[in-house]
Amino acid sequence: MSVLYRRNIPIAIVFVTVLFFLWDFFVTVPGINTKSASTILTNWGTILTAFTLGFGAVNLFMLHGKHISRRTKGQWPFSLWMLIIIALFTVVGVSTGATSSQYSWLYNSSYFALSATVYSSLGFYMTSGIYRALRAKNIESGLLLIVGIIALARNAPALVAAFPIIVPWEAWISAVPTTSAQRGIMIGAALGTLALGLRTMIGRETGFLGKLTEAERG
Amino acid sequence: MFVTGRIFALGMLVAVWIFILGGMELAKRTMPTFRKLAGLDAIPEMVGRAAETGKPVHFTTGLGELHTNMASQLIAGLSVLSYVSELCAKDGVKIIYTVYQSQVMPIATELMKAAYTSAGKAEEFDADDQVRYLSGEQFAYAAAVQGIAERERPAANIMIGPFYAESMLFAETFYRIGSIQLAGTARGYQIPFFAVVCDYLLIAEEIYAASAYLSKDPILAGSLRGQDVAKLLALVLMIIGVILTALGSSVLNNLLKM
Repeated sequence: MSVLYRRNIPIAIVFVTVLFFLWDFFVTVPGINTKSASTILTNWGTILTAFTLGFGAVNLFMLHGKHISRRTKGQWPFSLWMLIIIALFTVVGVSTGATSSQYSWLYNSSYFALSATVYSSLGFYMTSGIYRALRAKNIESGLLLIVGIIALARNAPALVAAFPIIVPWEAWISAVPTTSAQRGIMIGAALGTLALGLRTMIGRETGFLGKLTEAERG
Repeated sequence: MFVTGRIFALGMLVAVWIFILGGMELAKRTMPTFRKLAGLDAIPEMVGRAAETGKPVHFTTGLGELHTNMASQLIAGLSVLSYVSELCAKDGVKIIYTVYQSQVMPIATELMKAAYTSAGKAEEFDADDQVRYLSGEQFAYAAAVQGIAERERPAANIMIGPFYAESMLFAETFYRIGSIQLAGTARGYQIPFFAVVCDYLLIAEEIYAASAYLSKDPILAGSLRGQDVAKLLALVLMIIGVILTALGSSVLNNLLKM
């Protein structure tokens, strides 16, 4: 029973689903519309995802409820604030609808602004990362330093005006070594995905099922 | 019958699968050798350091979702999560897995529980505290992870999965608090960020090889050999394509459009 429940049924579901989607992608049979079936399957995924949001909400309330009741130092005020915000969004969303002007105002003037702020802070993180990375410690980092300086200079209009030669240099670096390396990585990743997909389909890749015993692994 | 424009792709898919299955069969007779993946070899050291300092290990699979084309990266990350959880359980180190997509929560909880059970420490696993759902919004999730980093100061940070703009936010924040970091992603745009900040890096296909590398299962390892043969085939096709195109022939181009 354990092997059936923990290994065989999940793998059978994966196997059938993958075959169905492969069929849908590669084969077309006149008179049979598999598109609607694949859309239904995709919708099931979306519904399951929406259902699992409940797990997420329960987890948030359990964890942060504990912090509040234990008055965890440096944490509990944030936990309390977060639960208040969840309650506020839920009340406004349920009572006025997720497309109402009230809910949109709440979302745009809180989350949207904060999200843009966090995204903008990326510039500072990148600067500090680059500051450490652009040091010629060995041949590789030396090359990175040279290429980095060329790319930075190409994006500085004053430097482009002073040294127009950096435009074709940067274009060549982007079009030849960078693109070829990216494509190599892409091909490797695609083949890796295929191998992982096949291993999962035939039940050899069981990492996502958790730690199986020898008997369960088969 | 077959969709026009996808016949060659189907042929290639079948060929690659045959190579992989062949590699698995061969591996039953001779175990393939692996090249060293420093990032995966460093995991016990990372967990050991966390045990020495009494700090937790943080793990994230990024913005992976199960019903998009990023699912394979998420699955690869979960395989490593299982391994790291067992190591942490054995060494008495707390592992915190932060969740972006709620659909991953039940899977991760089961997986980590099984890892703790396998290590004989089932009673030490606290799902509410160790599998934390943060948010399904990218920057809310990023900010929450940064908050955990600042407050709980994990000794190690492992990031395997699909990452977007938050990659640098994570890598830099954990660098600042002194965490030892392993990052792996198949998203080309984020690899350079991880490469310059993190201590160890898994590039693209290496994350898919992680479960085979860590388990030392000969059949899984054999699939990697098949994958390498497929890579050779891709290389040969590219060279033939370059030569044919240089000679003015469009045979291969037409074949690809079949």
